[in-house]
Amino acid sequence: MPTMFAAAGVDDLIKTGGSCRVNADIKAHFVPGDKIVARNINPVSHTRLPQYVRGKHGTVERDHGVFVFPDTNAVLKGERPQHVYSVMFTARELWGPQAPEKDKVYIDLWDDYMDPAG
Amino acid sequence: MNGIHDLGGRHGMGPIDIDPEQPIFHADWERRMFGMFILAFAGGHFNIDQFRAAIEKMKPAEYLESDYYEHWLYSLETWCKANGSLTDEEIENRMRKLSKGAV
Repeated sequence: MPTMFAAAGVDDLIKTGGSCRVNADIKAHFVPGDKIVARNINPVSHTRLPQYVRGKHGTVERDHGVFVFPDTNAVLKGERPQHVYSVMFTARELWGPQAPEKDKVYIDLWDDYMDPAG
Repeated sequence: MNGIHDLGGRHGMGPIDIDPEQPIFHADWERRMFGMFILAFAGGHFNIDQFRAAIEKMKPAEYLESDYYEHWLYSLETWCKANGSLTDEEIENRMRKLSKGAV
């Protein structure tokens, strides 16, 4: 069964929202500046990897720290904490050569959503 | 899951409402829905990722035609029924009473 919160903590839960941040020393697989390619995965269960970035190339902009991995947590297969990064994709990478040249999309991606771009 | 919830990049959905003045709740039932979510979440009926996952399993047409907090209600009912703390019969009974003016 998922975690229960003490009644005393419910006020804070409402005011600040719950956080899925995990205080654990987990190795980061990427650093800002790294070129990545989003994995082409299509799980039938929950994932927070949008379809439109799968297989696309991006650049790691910043490391947000360590968070619960939604894909496994959604099916009670463990929190599998890992780093989450802000990853930049150009509009042209996502939508093709007719997209505006300077537009960019930033998406928060977990370590398990990415491979290094060769 | 490659469901209808993953709307990024799709056309024909109309403009995104970014009115900063819009109310937090559009109706009183939404306020109650928020409260029920917090209590059920704090009570351990589901974690946040299970909660999102259930919403993704709504029938696509139903998902698109229902409100944000109706999605929450769908998920809350799903998980509370899954762990036995709520039954379809109880929901039906409550709806019957509400339709007769109960509060």
